[in-house]
Amino acid sequence: MAENAKISPQQWERVPAEKLEKEKISRPSLTYWQDAWRRLKKNHLSMLGLVAIILLTILAIFGPMMSQFDYSDQDLTMSNLPSKLEYYQVSEDSYIYLHKEYRLYSLTKKGEVLEKLPEAKNDMINKFRSYEIDGKEVVVDYSFAAAAIKSGDPNAKKFEIRIDGEAVQPMGKVWNKTYIFGTDHLGRDLYVRVLYGARISLLVGLIATVIQFFIGVTYGGISGYTGGRVDNIMMRIVDIIATIPLLLYVILLMVVMGAGLKTIIIALGSVYWVTMARIVRGQVLSIKEQEYVLAARTIGASTWRIMARHLIPNAMGSIIVALAMNIPSAIFTEAFLSFIGLGVSAPMASWGTLANDALGGLRTYAYQLFYPSIFIAVTVLAFNFLGDGLRDALDPRLRK
Amino acid sequence: MGKYVVRRIIAMIITLWFVCTITFFLMHSIPGGPFTREKELPEAVLQALNEKYHLNDPLWKQYVDYMKGIVVFDLGPSFSRPGATVNQFIEDGFPVSAKLGGVSVLAVIILGIPLGIISALKQNRWEDYVVTVLATVGVAVPGFVIGTTVIYIFSAKLGWLPAYGLTSWKHYIGPVLALSGFSLAFVARLTRSSMLEVLQQDYIRTARAKGLAEGVVIYKHALKNALIPVITYMGPMIAAIMTGSFVTEKIFAIPGMGKYFVEAVGNRDYTLIMGATVFYAAFSIVMIFIVDILYGVIDPRIKLED
Amino acid sequence: MDRRILELKDVKTSFYTHLGEVQAVRGVSFTLDRGEALGIVGESGSGKSVTSMSIMKLVQYPGKVKDGQILFKGQDLVPKSDKEMMGIRGDEIAMIFQDPMTSLNPVYTIGDQIMEATMKHQGLSKAEARQKAIEMLKLVGIPSPEKRVDNYPHEFSGGMRQRAMIAIALSCQPDLLIADEPTTALDVTIQAQILELMKDIKDKLDTAIILITHDLGVVADVCSRIIVMYGGLIMEEGSAEEIFYTPKHPYTMGLLKSIPRLDLAEKQRLVPIPGTPPDLLKPPTGCPFASRCPYAMNICIETMPEYTVSETGHRAACWLQHPDAPKVEVETGVKRGEI
Repeated sequence: MAENAKISPQQWERVPAEKLEKEKISRPSLTYWQDAWRRLKKNHLSMLGLVAIILLTILAIFGPMMSQFDYSDQDLTMSNLPSKLEYYQVSEDSYIYLHKEYRLYSLTKKGEVLEKLPEAKNDMINKFRSYEIDGKEVVVDYSFAAAAIKSGDPNAKKFEIRIDGEAVQPMGKVWNKTYIFGTDHLGRDLYVRVLYGARISLLVGLIATVIQFFIGVTYGGISGYTGGRVDNIMMRIVDIIATIPLLLYVILLMVVMGAGLKTIIIALGSVYWVTMARIVRGQVLSIKEQEYVLAARTIGASTWRIMARHLIPNAMGSIIVALAMNIPSAIFTEAFLSFIGLGVSAPMASWGTLANDALGGLRTYAYQLFYPSIFIAVTVLAFNFLGDGLRDALDPRLRK
Repeated sequence: MGKYVVRRIIAMIITLWFVCTITFFLMHSIPGGPFTREKELPEAVLQALNEKYHLNDPLWKQYVDYMKGIVVFDLGPSFSRPGATVNQFIEDGFPVSAKLGGVSVLAVIILGIPLGIISALKQNRWEDYVVTVLATVGVAVPGFVIGTTVIYIFSAKLGWLPAYGLTSWKHYIGPVLALSGFSLAFVARLTRSSMLEVLQQDYIRTARAKGLAEGVVIYKHALKNALIPVITYMGPMIAAIMTGSFVTEKIFAIPGMGKYFVEAVGNRDYTLIMGATVFYAAFSIVMIFIVDILYGVIDPRIKLED
Repeated sequence: MDRRILELKDVKTSFYTHLGEVQAVRGVSFTLDRGEALGIVGESGSGKSVTSMSIMKLVQYPGKVKDGQILFKGQDLVPKSDKEMMGIRGDEIAMIFQDPMTSLNPVYTIGDQIMEATMKHQGLSKAEARQKAIEMLKLVGIPSPEKRVDNYPHEFSGGMRQRAMIAIALSCQPDLLIADEPTTALDVTIQAQILELMKDIKDKLDTAIILITHDLGVVADVCSRIIVMYGGLIMEEGSAEEIFYTPKHPYTMGLLKSIPRLDLAEKQRLVPIPGTPPDLLKPPTGCPFASRCPYAMNICIETMPEYTVSETGHRAACWLQHPDAPKVEVETGVKRGEI
């Protein structure tokens, strides 16, 4: 036992109890909501979603104010202008854009659209238009178009621009500074309309969800709390409703009440509360068996008090998750309804109506579909991310 | 099992009655009646029309007549197209929609489930990331965006796919993508998470402890359990694909029931709306019933409940 | 014939998580003979279950046996491929788990789940395997096994399910049976029946058994030898008598004091062991129990003690056993005849 020598007497001394205590790592105790928030913050995708939703909300509220246009301003001379303009140079300071309908617009170098140029001559038989710009003769010859379409080749040459008899090539592309998302077929600014659509979509998502929340929580709460025969009957009714494709009823309600923003909100809110009712009932059933509810009852708390103070707050986690998950589906449904023509009425715009409006000119003016589509997808994605994160953060099973 | 089926059939009949009644009274609560249009009809014509369609009868009699009609599957005449009946619209449109919907359901099953399995088995590897990203985007993009994008890229720009109609297999690609996109992505996600959860279960450990090959453990023991929640989603999926046909058939100009329904909504053709709603509801109730029976076959625990 | 069936030599198993390496088992050695029942005791997180999963080579990803040897019938299992292990699992080494409610696949019949193993390892036909399954159910004491063989797990009670689990495990006459908390999820009367069944099997079939539990009462009943684990290490090993009556390690003493006893006078107090087990992500350099030990000395925190082994093979890793250690008044185990 050579080791023996190495052990000094002081090593055999007892460790004082306080020192041992210190070595224990204690975790600060957090409330349920603090803990949930801490977990949510750690979920990068959720935070990204949350930031996107906040940005979108700010943009929806203040964006339209920043613009010189209103959502209903029409300017037929400015119709179907894309967000990216292919431009030609006429002289030092003079730039033009050729519209898909073979009209010329004057531009600044930065990409601001100045005006639709008046044509000097419009020969519809020989298919050309001529303009006079800065003393030069600019000819738009679109006589190739018919043959190009016939050939079926999407890249075939359709037109030619000649300045003083000489064919010119485009200088490049510039972002449309006047209408950054372009304009629609009535010359309305799409940027303002898309942001206006964001208002409608977020509003519908939010209010419809709140209505569902109240109906669902009340129905599920009563059913779960009362229990017995009442619960049985109430849940049978829910079962029956759940087997019907609810979108049909939303459509019926829209037909009955007439299209419009208010109708959409009422229809969505009054039909889709079934899931919420089921969740709340399940939660209430399990919570009402807990000791603390019994304790509250023994000291004479009223039913309403028990519901408001104990049941609802404890079921809140699952309810919030269900709410977050419902918002994107409400937004989806609104877009869907608007797309089939049951949405907000013109000139109001929602993303669904914008997409529907764009459908006719899809082949030529795809950008009109692109912006509302991107906005729907990003918004729904953001809510899904947030919802997933909330579910992980609020699920007590995962709590460490 | 027998008792369970009988109970379910009774519940189905009650649900159907509920659907028909609500639909009937909703449609009859529209102020002004079906012939109130922007263009006002002369009083005499209106009277004649009301007489013809029995709209002057008391409401209860109209209701009883309508319910009698439903029992023998007679959904009445169409208001917007004189001479045509609602039954004719359904006979014309439903086979087309059913074919498209059937292919879409198949696409979800054949693609969605295997993608979910691959994703779960290759957790945190590139296969998983690809499927997860696609599925996450898939549930965030509405069907009409998928449909229009397919038309723009593959029909207008590349010229690979036809844009309209439903005559060759190529015609199916766009509409099926638009119709099944959401459900496909959803099923892939659901299969993935369900598979991951099942693989954590104790009975999988038991199966491994028995010395079974990994393939048997996954495809025999894990998959059957993992599919249970996926089957639960089949009911809502059928509803999603059915209602999805409203926009898909509109975009791709397919003469199916969805297109007729949307047109009926536009024309305010009340009998057609009513008939289509009842038909859609009945169809989806029956499909959910079939799914539930299937569910009982896969999960032996279900039978116990009744 | 060699009675030695299993020998673990300095086995180390770690989980490679994104936080770092969690050293769940940090060097475990022991031996086991045919027909012997060995108990492994410890609280959750002590590494006892991971040790058993290491023997089966079923440590779940991201875990891995990183060092040491597991000699089963003289062959080292550590370098064996998964395919080779499949031939051993269920055939030569079988395992039963804690929760019979979740350990059987709910969508297949009990019979199917027994037949799987015999059809694979013994090459039985379907009819033979079914016959064998019925025999096995009878062996583990399930009434009318001819009917029960076609039942689904949900049609069995908890105790019956655990019997079915044992039937699966024994269907190929394994040489070694590992039982991980086999009775924890069952109520007391069923517990006794299952333990009786295991003792029976050990004697009749000469099967070696490793019984893993946190319940000292259970091991006392079945096992002749006991290993006490803590913080991924063996703290003490000895015969059941030695562990109960003359424990050498303060942790074993603590465990003994924390079991409720019906036989003592009414003033008995249960003494919990204060504190929590060490974080195996950063295992302490000294004795893992030091921070909770009522006798902790400076050296305990600095250095892990060697085993002190008696002639009977009773060993313990504690500085108090060192000849130079100051003599402290320690409370020993239970009095003879109490258990």
